[in-house]
Amino acid sequence: MRDSHKFKIPIGPQHPALKEPEGFSVALRGEKILGVDIRLGYNHRGIEKAAEERTYIQSLYIIERICGICSHSHSTCFAQAVEEIAALEVPKRALYIRTVIGELERVHSHLLWLGVAGHEIGFDTLLMYSWRDREIVMDILALLTGNRVNYGINTYGGVKRDISPEQAQEVLKGVDILEERTKYYIEIATQEVTVIQRLSGVGVLSREDAIRLDTVGPTARASGVARDVRKDDPYSAYSEVPFNVITDDHCDVYGRTVVRLKELMEAYKIIRYVLKNMPEGPIAIKAPRKIPAGEALGRYEAPRGEDVHYVKANGTEKPERVKVRAPTLANLQAVKHMLKDRYLADMPIVIAAIDPCFSCTDRMISIDYSGSDKSEAIKWEALRSYGIEWYRGKGIDFSKLNKEFSRRAIS
Amino acid sequence: MKTIDRVINWSRLKSPWIIHFNTGACNGCDIEIIAALAPRYDLERLGILLKGTPRHADVLVCSGPVTKQTEDRLVRIYEQMPQPKFVVAVGTCACSGGVFQGCYNVKSGINAVIPVSVFIPGCPASPKAILDGVIKLLASLEMKEEKE
Amino acid sequence: MTVCENIRQQLAARFPGIEERVKIPRPRRIFVEAAADEFRKIFEFAINELGFNHLCTITGLDERVNFSLIYHLAKENGVLLNIKISVSHDAPQADSIIGYFPGAEIYERELVDLFGIQIKGLPEGLRYPLADDWPKDEYPLRKDWKPKTAQAQEGK
Repeated sequence: MRDSHKFKIPIGPQHPALKEPEGFSVALRGEKILGVDIRLGYNHRGIEKAAEERTYIQSLYIIERICGICSHSHSTCFAQAVEEIAALEVPKRALYIRTVIGELERVHSHLLWLGVAGHEIGFDTLLMYSWRDREIVMDILALLTGNRVNYGINTYGGVKRDISPEQAQEVLKGVDILEERTKYYIEIATQEVTVIQRLSGVGVLSREDAIRLDTVGPTARASGVARDVRKDDPYSAYSEVPFNVITDDHCDVYGRTVVRLKELMEAYKIIRYVLKNMPEGPIAIKAPRKIPAGEALGRYEAPRGEDVHYVKANGTEKPERVKVRAPTLANLQAVKHMLKDRYLADMPIVIAAIDPCFSCTDRMISIDYSGSDKSEAIKWEALRSYGIEWYRGKGIDFSKLNKEFSRRAIS
Repeated sequence: MKTIDRVINWSRLKSPWIIHFNTGACNGCDIEIIAALAPRYDLERLGILLKGTPRHADVLVCSGPVTKQTEDRLVRIYEQMPQPKFVVAVGTCACSGGVFQGCYNVKSGINAVIPVSVFIPGCPASPKAILDGVIKLLASLEMKEEKE
Repeated sequence: MTVCENIRQQLAARFPGIEERVKIPRPRRIFVEAAADEFRKIFEFAINELGFNHLCTITGLDERVNFSLIYHLAKENGVLLNIKISVSHDAPQADSIIGYFPGAEIYERELVDLFGIQIKGLPEGLRYPLADDWPKDEYPLRKDWKPKTAQAQEGK
């Protein structure tokens, strides 16, 4: 950092009164990270408290908006817990529909991640390609649920909308196209030397550490830990659907990329199977407004990993207690571990590789230079540019790939 | 001065530079803002560029209901933008707090903190709605120019 | 015998008297009510001998007469073991479990911020999830705490 690399200085005059809410504090020696502290809470809106003051139906809408990227995950997880307390037997057709939407959500989320990861390492055409392809799944989700994001398909006791045979055909057509595109992305990931070099050996997390640090989702599975709620603790239709849990042994960001790409392929298989074997029947049973006293845990494999909702009911129409543990929170301990003794240039992609909340990219980073009084605050964008330039200096450069891919036309 | 204003307005119309800030949103609107910049909707063909610093931005595109932790930063970003500046509140949360109205850590809308020029409702606001809002903002600037 | 029944039997064998405090409401879900002074032994038994190697989260509850903490543990076969202890409402405190699960730190900080439960053994660190200038002695998830009160006090 003290050598010739330039990056942006902190924005604006420093007012002693106004403290910058740093997202990350990094202790740095030379180019190596000694330690990282992560400050969270920017997104703290007080949802758990709000749920206690709202009816179950109102709470369902607020829970859905914990995260816009995996809203169906949170909504289904919560509905599952409430349905368990109320001993509601959700009709099979509804479970199958929830599964389709859940896998479509996984597809949109992983494609989104692919683009963001590309952006973090300077491979911007990958961002454009993957987000363009992602529009196919956004169209499908809008067709089935009426909205691109925040689908609102769940209700207690089932789902609100059915899938018609015509809609199912549209979904299958879209899935066919996406499968071809995904094969192409897998090719890029496994054959482009620049990609492999950039992502290998970065953000290393051994199998033992992945377990010790309670890692979940693709982050854990890329370290060989076969943890997947869909297999371990099946919900929705997963106990009846054949699919593989994708693991990888690279234990690094490269592994996390491969896992997500292969999970896309599994998702297409699951969607096809579920649509082909959709049972007839109602899509919902009536649920009571007052939920009898009791407690239950909803557990769901969101695109980022295990999502857990604890719900306690007290016989009224408002929940007694709602506790949510989203997957990213579980993976953040592992990030601190992954960054220790690594290069500052790796920080953006290592953090991006656990697939954190998008708003992480607005964070400030404060850097403390060990052994000196110097410290400064930079923006995420500046750190990202620093990382890209640093690797360019080591001969890993995406400018050629970006040019090449802009010229190629994939139909 | 009048002439300079018109030149600046004209270049702003042709190529507004935006900065994006999330004040505690669920990311639903944020991913639709980025989707608006991606190939299908392609805000860039309107000359709109996403910038990393408020010092170069004409328009602040904001999502989220403003949590306590983000309020100061939002104000600082707004203050660092050069005049004239415009604020676009994207999404129902940014307009009024949305489902989070009344929650203890939330301010309930961008305009509780800084003045807003355009409100784009929706949960989330779709890229089409975002495009529509931005075009309306540009059109109102154009009308302003014509008046003067 | 189901997996959960098996676990109940093992718990009963090791901790006499615990059997009636073990509930199995459905497959793969066990709820145990533990006294505060037997918690550590049960916890260690679950981790070392029953094979629970994943801490999902820690839930805090304000049950008005006391506070409760539920430790949600999981293992490969999908079983969730939920161990609940109660602590006094006047001086709520518990011991940290970061020695067993480093990842517990963030869940324990939540208990400190939102309930005001003291966690002994938690190192100095950034608070979560409330802002630095959140008023002292205001614990949002306590049942007697109302959002408007805090807002009025802040003058917002």
